[in-house]
Amino acid sequence: MRPGGSAGQVGQAIRRPGAQANTLANALRHLLALLLALCALAATRPHYGGTLRVEVRESVETADPPPAPAGFSIAQWEAGHRAVYTADENAPGGRPFLDGIEILMGRPLREQSIDLELGRADLVQLGPNELRRPGVRKTWSSRPIRVVALVFAARVQEAAREALALAVDRAAIHNVLLQRQGEISGALVPHWLSGYAFLFPAAADIARARWLVSLLPTAARSLSLAAEDRDLAGRIALNARDAGLSISLTIMAGNADVRLIELRIGSSDPARALAEVAAALGQPRPQGTHEGAPPHLGQPSPQGVPEGAPPRADSPDALFAAERALLEGYRVAPLFHLPDVYGVGPRVRGGPGITPLGQWQFDNLWLESGRP
Amino acid sequence: MTFRTRLLLLFTVALGASVGLVEWLVTDRTREAFEQLESRRVKALVLQFQKEFERSGREILRAVDGIAGSDAALNIAISPDYAQYYGEAAALAKAHALDVLELVAADGTIVSSAEWPARFGYREDWLANGQWTGHEAFLRSAELPDGLALALVAVATVTAGDRKLFVTGGRKLDQEFLSSLGLPAGMRVLLYGSREAQFLPADLIGGPAGNLRPLIEQVQKQRTEATTVIGRGAEAETFHALPLAGPEHNLPAVLLVGSSRKELVELEASLRRIGLLMAASGIIVGLALGWWATARVTRPVRALAQSAGRVARGDWGTTVDSVSGDEIGQLARAFNRMTRELVDQRERLVQAERVAAWRELARRLAHELKNPLFPLQITVENMQRARERYPEQFDEVFREGAATLLAELANLKQIIARFSDFAKMPAPQVEPVQLNRLAQENLKLFDAQFAKAGIQARAELDPKLPVVQADPEQMARVLRNLILNAIDAMPQGGVLTVLTAVVGTGARLEVSDTGQGLTPEECERLFTPYYTTKMHGTGLGLAIVQSVVSDHKGRISVESQKGRGTTFRIELG
Repeated sequence: MRPGGSAGQVGQAIRRPGAQANTLANALRHLLALLLALCALAATRPHYGGTLRVEVRESVETADPPPAPAGFSIAQWEAGHRAVYTADENAPGGRPFLDGIEILMGRPLREQSIDLELGRADLVQLGPNELRRPGVRKTWSSRPIRVVALVFAARVQEAAREALALAVDRAAIHNVLLQRQGEISGALVPHWLSGYAFLFPAAADIARARWLVSLLPTAARSLSLAAEDRDLAGRIALNARDAGLSISLTIMAGNADVRLIELRIGSSDPARALAEVAAALGQPRPQGTHEGAPPHLGQPSPQGVPEGAPPRADSPDALFAAERALLEGYRVAPLFHLPDVYGVGPRVRGGPGITPLGQWQFDNLWLESGRP
Repeated sequence: MTFRTRLLLLFTVALGASVGLVEWLVTDRTREAFEQLESRRVKALVLQFQKEFERSGREILRAVDGIAGSDAALNIAISPDYAQYYGEAAALAKAHALDVLELVAADGTIVSSAEWPARFGYREDWLANGQWTGHEAFLRSAELPDGLALALVAVATVTAGDRKLFVTGGRKLDQEFLSSLGLPAGMRVLLYGSREAQFLPADLIGGPAGNLRPLIEQVQKQRTEATTVIGRGAEAETFHALPLAGPEHNLPAVLLVGSSRKELVELEASLRRIGLLMAASGIIVGLALGWWATARVTRPVRALAQSAGRVARGDWGTTVDSVSGDEIGQLARAFNRMTRELVDQRERLVQAERVAAWRELARRLAHELKNPLFPLQITVENMQRARERYPEQFDEVFREGAATLLAELANLKQIIARFSDFAKMPAPQVEPVQLNRLAQENLKLFDAQFAKAGIQARAELDPKLPVVQADPEQMARVLRNLILNAIDAMPQGGVLTVLTAVVGTGARLEVSDTGQGLTPEECERLFTPYYTTKMHGTGLGLAIVQSVVSDHKGRISVESQKGRGTTFRIELG
């Protein structure tokens, strides 16, 4: 509905004297409609004011607060627990509608979703298990920008590495544990970014895995796996057992034979993204890719790709070759690409509040209960 | 070994054996009673286990049925997408206090697993292939991340139209379950979950495997109860093993009820100590009593023996005290009676012998004196008759008569001298004597008589004959008497042999003839004084021989056969 159109019809009806009762009635109806439209316009129109309450699972323990979202500046910082940002009156794009943002850190996903249900939070991170909770009505989702992969210590024999990579039943994990979020992948760079990820095999091959394990000495068939996600690690251990490998779960990532890690793609440039992932894995920079800073793991990266980076000179074929070279030898076994998913409270308007790369974008959000 | 020692030893052995027998009987009966008690305790415990097992089974079945009848299970059953329910089993298991719970699709695919959440998508074909209507709880090995665990499980089915969902849940049979049995002191229960065909110590719940492997393998193989004793001494335990069958006629578990034998061993040790103490006390007391009793028994016996010895040594008047009325007392009285009778008989015998000797002496004197008296009487009567009738011849008769009277008087004197000699036998004056030389010298004295009587004398003398201590005069007299006897015994001639020989450390002297010999009665009376078988002689010769030999502590014997001769044998020490 266009508000301007409705107001013109009402004016014409008033300027015609001696109009019939029907015409008056019609005018009244139009007036009522106009009033309703005005009310609706008032309801959907951005409001200034209010504080957006955000909860995240990560906990930043540094003395310096994380960089402020665009249009805001830091007001309070309680390391590891809470950060408060206020609207920047002199922001380049204009003052944000929100007066401020309060971020609570270190909140478990389940508690976040409960807070969302109870109206104690406006924006929370959602894990696969929380997606179907009854209180979650609206979600924002990024593109699959988190890479879940197995990273092997150098001491693990190649046959054991390949066997474990082949033993993992990615499909079952994707269907059940991940609730079909994201996508299965054998590549580091997501398919939506590179376009060739499907070329890296991701299907389980338990027979070959068993054969590979049979080549191993008994001592090499036992591996330790460090992972934060115990469910995912448990399933991997179960798959590994089917192949003949014995996986013991540990929390000591430094001494583990295998680590289940999650890397964040911080650039929409596939070459730069590959370079960042390689750097994060401690691998040499693939040929033909740009050098870039490693992304923050498990933490939204507001910076993204530096816009002033040199232009790329690589082709998709070269990039594919570079990634294939990186994955050769099974030092790293990519498993999934997952999106950032946020549950959005009912009073949040505008948005979406995150970019395809998962960066926060709160300058065009407002709250229903904000100042008129 | 003396009679008293033997009696004491016998007494001690009998006492020890009695105590040992009592000890063995008590120990045996105690062990039997203990084992019966233990058997009853084991049966009670097994019954308690079965009841607890059934009660837990009913609880589990109720919980599983409750889950199957819940809306949550129904929602899962009818849901087109099971993926979102993979964590449901854990919550349901927690709510119903189950250790294991799996929600399984109709095709056997695990939708959700409480005990191992990562197992979603895996298959439980045994569920899809089974019939689970009206089924009770049963034993099964549940798969857990850290291995298999024995669990008591039940199965229920959720049916919604053409869709089906299996609910299988239960509780682990672990140490906690076994602890809930409330075992009596000294007993324990272990549960072996048979995961593999071979024995795995890690599958034993409730304690270390120890040496239970053979027992468990025996039960697994035979599928019947078995009992054995494990360990030694106070650490020993009696284990009863019972197979626990599963629903598929398999053997998922073996129940082991252990009963410590410590109490029995300690009881046996205590009984043994008491037995040893009693035996030691009994033996000491028995020894004392035996010492006293044997002394009491053997004292009169010893007195009897000593008295008998004295009797043997010639003290015929010996008697023993006989105060008791038992057999020993009767024996003592009989002994006293015997010695008294012996003394009496000996006195009577001596008296009779004395009377007989006097009679024999009187007869011999009468005989010896009568012979010279008769010529004396005749000579005197001739002289009287000649004086009255033939005075002219009286002188000549007187002369002849006087000569005869003198000769007969000389004969009478000789007779009296012999009797006097026998009466005055002196004590022997011993000195070393060579019997061979004595025999040769005395044989030579009789050469003329041998020749006159037609007797051939032989001397068979042992050159190794030792020198003996004897009175040479008396021994020569003995030898001469024996030689004269032999000559008298062979009026028709014969062979007289004197033989010497070594006997032990002493010597033997034999004088043999080949005369008419003697009867046994004659041999018995041969050494009696004044006894003779000859028409002449005083009967004192052999009596003197025996007296001399006796004075020399020797022994004389005679051996004779009628018609073949007689041998006198003398042995000197």
